[in-house]
Amino acid sequence: MSQPSPDTYPTSGRKAKRTTLPAQLIGGLLIAIGILAVVVFVITVSQDPGIQFAVNWTASEEFPEQPSILLAFLERFGIILPALVAYLSLFFISIGAQVFGGSLRAAHWAKVILMWLTIGLGIVTVLTIYNTIRVANEEALPVDVGALLGSLVLPVLGMLIIGGVWWWLSNNLENYFMGEDLLIARETRLAWNLLIPTLAIFILVAARPLEQTFIRSLTDKRFAGRGVPQFVGLDNYAQLLTIRLDTVTCRTEDDGECSVRDNGAVRWESIERDLLQDGYRTVSNIPIPFSSGQSIAISGRDNDFIGAINTTLIFTVVSVTGELLIGLFMAMVVNSNFRGRGIMRAVMLIPWAIPTVISARLWELMLKDTSAGIVNKVMMDLHLINAPQAWLSEPSLQLPAAIMVDVWKTAPFMALLLLAGLQTIPRDLYEAAAVDGASPVRRFFSITLPLLRPALAIALIFRTLDALRVFDLFNVLFGRQQLSMATYNFETLVSNQKDGYASAVSVIIFIFISIFAFIYVRMLQVETD
Amino acid sequence: MIQSILTNERFLKNLQRIMLYAAIIFIAFYALFPFYWAFSTSFKTESEMFQSASYLPRNPTLKNYEYVFRDNTFVNSLKNSAIVSSLTAVLALVVGSFAAYALGRLRFKGRVVMLYIVLSMTMFPAISILSGLYTIVRELGFFGTPLALIATYPVFILPFTVWVLTSFFRGLPAEIEQAAIVDGATPFQTFRLILLPLTAPALVTTGLLAFVLSWNEYLFALNFTTTNPDAKTVPVTIAQFTGQFARQEPIAEIMAAAMVVTIPLVVLVLIFQNRIVEGLTAGAVKG
Repeated sequence: MSQPSPDTYPTSGRKAKRTTLPAQLIGGLLIAIGILAVVVFVITVSQDPGIQFAVNWTASEEFPEQPSILLAFLERFGIILPALVAYLSLFFISIGAQVFGGSLRAAHWAKVILMWLTIGLGIVTVLTIYNTIRVANEEALPVDVGALLGSLVLPVLGMLIIGGVWWWLSNNLENYFMGEDLLIARETRLAWNLLIPTLAIFILVAARPLEQTFIRSLTDKRFAGRGVPQFVGLDNYAQLLTIRLDTVTCRTEDDGECSVRDNGAVRWESIERDLLQDGYRTVSNIPIPFSSGQSIAISGRDNDFIGAINTTLIFTVVSVTGELLIGLFMAMVVNSNFRGRGIMRAVMLIPWAIPTVISARLWELMLKDTSAGIVNKVMMDLHLINAPQAWLSEPSLQLPAAIMVDVWKTAPFMALLLLAGLQTIPRDLYEAAAVDGASPVRRFFSITLPLLRPALAIALIFRTLDALRVFDLFNVLFGRQQLSMATYNFETLVSNQKDGYASAVSVIIFIFISIFAFIYVRMLQVETD
Repeated sequence: MIQSILTNERFLKNLQRIMLYAAIIFIAFYALFPFYWAFSTSFKTESEMFQSASYLPRNPTLKNYEYVFRDNTFVNSLKNSAIVSSLTAVLALVVGSFAAYALGRLRFKGRVVMLYIVLSMTMFPAISILSGLYTIVRELGFFGTPLALIATYPVFILPFTVWVLTSFFRGLPAEIEQAAIVDGATPFQTFRLILLPLTAPALVTTGLLAFVLSWNEYLFALNFTTTNPDAKTVPVTIAQFTGQFARQEPIAEIMAAAMVVTIPLVVLVLIFQNRIVEGLTAGAVKG
């Protein structure tokens, strides 16, 4: 940065006239940008085809219902984007006004704003060029250079002007502005400068899509479909989550005994005809103990989803418990002293490093339903089973098979997390306990477990969150045959194209996981200092 | 007689030792056997797939590997995966280390809120935003290209990178910066010239983990590249592998492809295993 020459440096004696022409120009530019942002946004909204369609709608055979203008707006722009535009434009205007008055602090912030605006316009320019060429390639037409240049004029011009002002301001800031620039203010500016890329990415690829999912879950939108979506309130949720409990009796044989299937399960009567017509289907029957052939039939309007929740919960509870037990065992073994401990730790990382898709296909091969499947062969050699089992196509074996694969892949990983916790426990504790005559079992329950609690909690909750959103494994192993919550969501969205409905599923999954995540965050208690 | 053997301390010690080694061998077998099985299957002939399973290939052959490398879709997807994973990792490291420095070393209003946002992002269920991401990926014009993945992978890579690196930055002693400030360095100079080199090992670990996570990603890859076979990544190709003769699932070929994809990862993991364990425990990351 150039040193200010003495004659341009405003001395404290001439404090009265602090505002300089450049300050006024830059302040004015910022205010103009702030206003322009709102204007451009309003024009974009009013020009949007979806919104224009809703506004200019007249009843026709294809579109008999009045489309909601509000929905058209929310669907396209959401809430975050308008709020962001409004906030930023106010921020620009207020900084602009302060720069106009010659404030050094505001001038520094102006530098931040101008730099990111330049970068933003640069990205817009690159994207415009990319998309023009892409569209031309897709339609096998030559690139319309004239139109491309036309659409580039505004962003490039804006970039040059704003970038130029930023460059000038960076070099001349001290000459025209005065005041104190504290270290804390510098740190704050640097912090936001460094955080802006992360924030921008979060807003673009996480917050905006999540917001759209929430909005769509209240509509009957169909994916990539024609027709205009309408608000349907909470109908999607009602359809998904309605559950009925009814008592039903078992189907009886001629002799009055309950009829039983080949695999030993009781045959239950179905729920009443009226309910069936309302769309209720039985998900499962829970026999009432000590009753003569009665059970509670759990039925739902969307029994696939209720079934998927059920499957996912069982999968989560059983596989996380299994991983915990096996993982703890492995961690304790590897924590003891022996040659080749380092190698063991590396070996235990291998299942984790294998992509889930590949481990699913690998287990598909190992679980093959003939004696060509190694699991069948080994179990038959050990006389655990008599005939080859169809692990992956027999419905009652599918879930255990999926759990087995998941436990295989993640138990060693869990062990490594627990091992890190074990290594923080001081050895003298065990020695002292041994001297006092505590048995190994006693030592495990009185020393190891209590001191391992933090590591256990973290490992458990992370695994629980992962198990609740399991997708790869179920998708590759079962396709549509056995659904987890995530694969059900995927099927409703991609195969059935029910975007509104699928969004409601997404929101339910999101809430499920948020509850666990909330507990986790509370337990972890983020260090704030 | 037996009594005296059982109370013999040396015998007990040895018994303990034997049990320990038995447990170790069991764990190694548990972790390695499926991997070995895939490895050995990749050398088997297609006809052997229908015979009773054997531990070693009866007629070892390299044909499967030959087919796999002659398969354009597979070779292409290898290339895509390499490009997507390395660009994602680099992007996450650059952007993530900026954010982590701000969150770990600088004082400013809103820091705690940002920390919570990052932490809750690490637990974000990707499936929940799938439908919204479709729209955005389409609007950007990235649909059906590897760019769609590079643009969306930060959803799960970036929060994790920021979180792990923040804890690394926080672990560095405060005197470093104070000395730099006394010497007249700006905060950004301190970051670039002093702190960044100090965290180089952490950057290597985090970058590697980010690479592995994006290499293994399936959901987004499956959805955003469906229209264009040239943009598929390795997990999608392997999940949908039909091979040379579409009549029968070419399992041996799939395993050969799986080996090609997994062995580099396993080698990387073995080389950096110490660091990975550290990084994983710092971030308690998903698997």
